Amino acid sequence: MDKLKSLFYQDSLLEKLHQIQITYGYIPEAEIENLSEKYQLARANVYGVISFYSMFYTEPTGKYIIRICDSISCHLNESDSVLRAVKSYLGLKSHQTTEDKKFTLEVVECLGHCGEGPVMMVNNKIFTKINKNKALEILNDCM
Amino acid sequence: MAQEKLYLKGDKLLDISNYEFKSIKNALRIGREKTIKKVKDSGLKGRGGAGFPTGIKWEMAAEVEGKEKYVVCNADEGEPGTFKDRYLLEERPLKVLEGIMLAAYAVGADKAYIYIRGEYSKSIEIFSEIIETAREKKILDANLFDSDFKLELKLIRGAGAYVCGDETSLINSIEGKRGRSRIKPPYPIEKGLFKQPTVVNNVESLCCAAEVLNPDSEEFSELGIKGSKGTKLLCLSGDLNKPGLYEVEFAQITLAEIIYDLGGGIKGNEDLRFVIPGGISTAVIKAEDLDFPYSYQAFEKRGSSLGSGAVIAVSKKHDLIDLMLNVSRFYMDETCGTCFPCREGNRQINKILNAFKEEDRKIETELISDIGNTIRLAARCGLGQSSLNFITSVIENYGKELKFGGKIYA
Ligand SMILES: Cc1cc2nc3c(=O)[nH]c(=O)nc-3n(C[C@H](O)[C@H](O)[C@H](O)COP(=O)(O)O)c2cc1C
Ligand code: SF4
Ligand code: FES
Repeated sequence: MDKLKSLFYQDSLLEKLHQIQITYGYIPEAEIENLSEKYQLARANVYGVISFYSMFYTEPTGKYIIRICDSISCHLNESDSVLRAVKSYLGLKSHQTTEDKKFTLEVVECLGHCGEGPVMMVNNKIFTKINKNKALEILNDCM
Repeated sequence: MAQEKLYLKGDKLLDISNYEFKSIKNALRIGREKTIKKVKDSGLKGRGGAGFPTGIKWEMAAEVEGKEKYVVCNADEGEPGTFKDRYLLEERPLKVLEGIMLAAYAVGADKAYIYIRGEYSKSIEIFSEIIETAREKKILDANLFDSDFKLELKLIRGAGAYVCGDETSLINSIEGKRGRSRIKPPYPIEKGLFKQPTVVNNVESLCCAAEVLNPDSEEFSELGIKGSKGTKLLCLSGDLNKPGLYEVEFAQITLAEIIYDLGGGIKGNEDLRFVIPGGISTAVIKAEDLDFPYSYQAFEKRGSSLGSGAVIAVSKKHDLIDLMLNVSRFYMDETCGTCFPCREGNRQINKILNAFKEEDRKIETELISDIGNTIRLAARCGLGQSSLNFITSVIENYGKELKFGGKIYA
């Protein structure tokens, strides 16, 4: 997607934050400093923007961000049993990262594949119709 | 057997060399005023949830004076159960592009944005490629088909905040701010993006507008009934045998047919308890009451709404408290926190439901109803206003069964 960067709305703080997030896996303090100068915003304001959006992090995340949907349609299709299995397998709660910085787990709301639930996302990749076993297989494939 | 009517849904439309742009060419030929008139006459209502007539929005925007005007395509789809805009972005992006061009041409804007939610990586990738090829082929950024109309289109990706789907929050988000809603008025039409007149339209609305202007589908505007015109994309999910995306003509199919014919009925040996007809911000329709034609007015009459087109079938096997908690968590997590009652009220509701579940406490339904009214009165945006629709409708219909206290339910 990087070759298409010029198509994104470059002047926007949101897009800048995306690019920093993609580069470092989080938004480092030094970059917040830079942005606050560039956009003439107080650091607290830049920080306020970052904290509003769940896809931005101010702490390093795992190499793989695992998002599992637990909104209503997936929930009706037993996403909670997938969640329980993944949580206990990784030893994580939502918003936590494994010590080896391999996995970050996020229990999220609808990912827009509700007819094919339960749904799981590993970084940018979507997996549909998962169950406990499939989810653990997918995690193993990340190893 | 109930049938689909296919206009928006169809074969993949990804190859710009083979796409004829008939609708925008038609619009350029007949001119702005007639384009707007056609959309107005078609009776098209916005498909983003609020149902505002698209033609009237365009007409007002065309009349407003502004240094610049903007069109924003709202592709922040996030209402649980909804996946129609993702389908259009991934499979029919050229229709979406054409719809954006139409809106911009009609209102006299030369800049447009498409805001795609950050989680939709594939849509972002596909749509950015479409923009790139369109630029190369001089369909964007250049005089379009020898007219004097030129459009600059930029893509902006969201970053994970449901509330940004609200048009004023979306505008704040594009401006690089926290995605909190703005007080209305002024409406975006008068003072939107960068304080300029701005038209925000949903992906599906823009695709419908492209159908209205398409000389090959002139009958599109005749479909449906007064007040509910054209077709609607339905996102079927939940306990169905055949979930997925369907397109139906308004008022020519009943909700029962949608569930039992298109959706293939309920999975396993279960019975349907209710349908959530338009995403979790809408009131449930009981299984016994599905025999009415699908239209805006039929849902309104039942105190509900067709919302985003997310039709979710819920069978009797599920614990109602568990579902209410699931919906309540959504609002608790997604409120932007600007209005105190929306922030605190949704947290309180979650607490009350949890206490009922964990500690076997009685629920005073009047309390839930009071909290709901307070949120509704104070809410600046639709999130707060609709946050208790599902929960109160479940209480009204099933409160007795759930052994809640109080007397709100029938
Ligand atoms: C909390 C909230 C979320 C919304 N999410 C969306 C959305 O994801 N997509 C959308 O098109 N409209 C959404 N809307 C409605 C928009 O505010 C706006 O009405 C719509 O984009 C206008 O387009 P339309 O007239 O074509 O429907 C949302 C509204 C609220 C209050
Ligand atoms: S109603 Fe809720 S989501 Fe909407 S602006 Fe107020 S606090 Fe934010
Ligand atoms: S509810 Fe899980 S993807 Fe939509």
